[in-house]
Amino acid sequence: MSRQLCLSTSLRRPSYSSRHVSRRVRALHEDTTTSTSTVNASEIAHFSRLSGLWWDERGQFSLLHKMNPHRVRFIRDKVVEIGCAEHGETWASARAALALQGLDVLDVGCGGGILSETLARLGGCTLAIDASEKNIAIASLHAAADPSLALPATETRGSLAYRHATAETLVQEPKRFDVVCSMEVIEHVDNPAGFLRSCAELVKPGGHLFLSTIARTPLAFALTILAAEKVLGLVEPGTHTFSKFINPSELVEFFQTDPSGSGRPWITRTHEHGLPTRTEAEVRGIWYEPWGGDWRLMPRGTTPFTAACNYLFWVRKPRE
Amino acid sequence: MSLHIASRAGVRLSQRILKRNLATTAATVEECDVVIVGGGPAGLALASALASSQNAWRVLKVRLVEAGDLSKIREWNMPPGAYSNRVSSLTNASEDFLNRVGVWRHVAQERTCAMEDMQVWDGISDARIEFSANRLEVGSRSGSGVSYMARMVENLNLQRAALTHLEEHPSIQLLDKAKVETIVNEETNGGWPLVHLSTGQTLRARLLVGADGFNSPVRKFARIQSFGWSYPTQAIVATLRHAPHTIRPHTTAYQRFLPTGPIAFLPLSPTSASLVWSTRPDLAAALTKADPAILAIMINSAFRLPNISMKYLHDRIRGIVASGATLQLDEIRQEIAWREQSHQIESHSPLASALVDPFTSVVGVPPADSELYPPLVHDLQPDTVASFPLRLSHAESYIGEGKGARTVLIGDAAHTVHPLAGQGLNGGLLDAECLVRSIDGALATGSDIGSYTALARYARERYIQNHAMLSAVDKLHKLYSSELGPVVWARSVGVEIINELDVLKAGMMISAGANANVMKGSPGWNLLASSVESVSGGVQIAKALRQGLQSAAAGVLKQASNALAGRS
Repeated sequence: MSRQLCLSTSLRRPSYSSRHVSRRVRALHEDTTTSTSTVNASEIAHFSRLSGLWWDERGQFSLLHKMNPHRVRFIRDKVVEIGCAEHGETWASARAALALQGLDVLDVGCGGGILSETLARLGGCTLAIDASEKNIAIASLHAAADPSLALPATETRGSLAYRHATAETLVQEPKRFDVVCSMEVIEHVDNPAGFLRSCAELVKPGGHLFLSTIARTPLAFALTILAAEKVLGLVEPGTHTFSKFINPSELVEFFQTDPSGSGRPWITRTHEHGLPTRTEAEVRGIWYEPWGGDWRLMPRGTTPFTAACNYLFWVRKPRE
Repeated sequence: MSLHIASRAGVRLSQRILKRNLATTAATVEECDVVIVGGGPAGLALASALASSQNAWRVLKVRLVEAGDLSKIREWNMPPGAYSNRVSSLTNASEDFLNRVGVWRHVAQERTCAMEDMQVWDGISDARIEFSANRLEVGSRSGSGVSYMARMVENLNLQRAALTHLEEHPSIQLLDKAKVETIVNEETNGGWPLVHLSTGQTLRARLLVGADGFNSPVRKFARIQSFGWSYPTQAIVATLRHAPHTIRPHTTAYQRFLPTGPIAFLPLSPTSASLVWSTRPDLAAALTKADPAILAIMINSAFRLPNISMKYLHDRIRGIVASGATLQLDEIRQEIAWREQSHQIESHSPLASALVDPFTSVVGVPPADSELYPPLVHDLQPDTVASFPLRLSHAESYIGEGKGARTVLIGDAAHTVHPLAGQGLNGGLLDAECLVRSIDGALATGSDIGSYTALARYARERYIQNHAMLSAVDKLHKLYSSELGPVVWARSVGVEIINELDVLKAGMMISAGANANVMKGSPGWNLLASSVESVSGGVQIAKALRQGLQSAAAGVLKQASNALAGRS
């Protein structure tokens, strides 16, 4: 749940090259003591306190509300891009309005449902889960006021269901998803590697996994914790823990292994600068521009620099 | 295990809410995505643009509510040569928008008139500024390749075109003869607005659009304050019938700034024009009640006689009205003739009007400078004289918040403008254009189109533009209603200088009609606002100086009298 503020460019160039594997990969540490659940109890309590404020678009979560259209656009464009490469242009143009039509979509850590509702409106048969029961209650209450979300899915409409559950519990069930999103969640869990494995497990072969989080850089510390929480008070203090931030290179390296036990790595090759090829994975920085009052998704192909604070990550599960 | 039970509780909760919703909405409440209140030009343009949008019409349920009978507008028909008195100068940006939306092809083109040139002059100093779309190479090009800065269109012609367009898009339902009785917030269930209609229907709106004019009920519901003021001015409108033009083509508009307010002559056809004369309320009342022939000769004089004589005529009219007598045509005509004589205006001069037969005036070689004045008006189209008060107002915000959430204002509900630059209608059309763009953008990202975040873009873009336009128009008004020597000098010099600066003129003209593709938005107004601002700064200084001098003089007098008193 990010409400962080990113103002300037990076001070340090994050490197994605494999030479630095051993140093960075420790962020995705395994914590064997909590292997049954990656949920952190004190984090849940914190967000339950904030739940009532979820849908105040001008309040605490305004930065998140403003960020949502950008991340949705990223999800939509990526799904259409890959679909276009696989099924052709006609398939893609038919999806102009409802990009997620007919796809099974899972939103892990849905909070108040800001992202979940938009995924359903884009046609996705959406299941949204959260570890906080109060969040699920708030999200259900909000969605119930919207007649288009309260109805079952049709050709021109997706559907939305909320469930108080964790990724780990869903893994036990047989259902798998075309699109799995977990936005601004991974920096709040105790066992990120375990969490990612669960998310990866929930993706159908050939499906998509979308993540967004914050890089562990001095710049990100300065902006998201120092400025946004401590100085400006834009974000509730205690929202973020610096040591839990995760660098893009760490995610890339994680998916270069075989995260879902399917026998093949999700990312098979990277370019010289450490970035994956765009058919396998993508990292895009996203910055808040206070002068425009809006976020800006960095164009593809900009230097890894631009992902030194908030960023979006996409990776595709290989077909078996 | 505990997780499992909790998840069931969550599902139960949402099912319960769902059931309650269905119970309360099924019987009487109609769920709508967009409810537009008001079937004026702005509301109809918004409905038309939604009908033509890429996605909106397919996924959104749109309803337009109008208290009046829209079939009257649909069947509106006037014989050629007769015109409605509510005419707007449509900018190129507006025309471009209507064209893209598909409304423009339903506009009766033969009833519109391109405005290629504009003559604007000061009532006191006669400093003059000339605009020509062809010479400055801005503005749209018509089919024949001639540039024009704006196009005169009857509002009804536009509304009828929008209705014809909407007939092809039945997905957008028009509920006419339906008054909005009340608008309330839902008490539970998200607090969406419920619009109760006089027909007994209730609409539940995801997005409620107030296109309901100056006294907007939607704005009141959203508790959005509106600030502004009325001008001590009334605008007289009428359709003029005049002698054909002699030198200029009939595509020239004329506007003279008198201290009582501007008078504008806007071309409709080679022998008709639309009048917008802003003047003092008592004069407006006297002139609109009088014999239309009196108004006609007063219009001719108002474009020609020096201000001092206009003042005299105004005083005369006030005197006659105060004495309880009615205005007599011959009496006023003689007064005008006498004023012309005293100014030594020859009967062949373009400034002569009182004793000139408008039809013979076009015979023979036209007098020198006759292109500087509009042709002589010989009469007014019957039943077209009307007047309405002028005011400027701007809503504090275009989006409702809290209890007024899910509301947005467009057109006159958001901003009312002094019509001296003919910008009122254009502002509303551009609002509609921008709002549809925001809605389309929101749909593309699956956003809730009634949410603050989805609407913020519209508000940010249009508020600044409209504010710049309003303040420029207001400053122009204040600037030109002054008779103070230094102010007249400053504005005349300003106008003369502007007349020499083609770049600045182009900027000002863009306000009257940039091609939307050439210039996004209207930087013209910003430019105009800042250039006028510097002159009106001079007005403030001059006013302050005058007050200072008066108080200083009063002080001297007081001291002198004290001294005298002391001596005696």
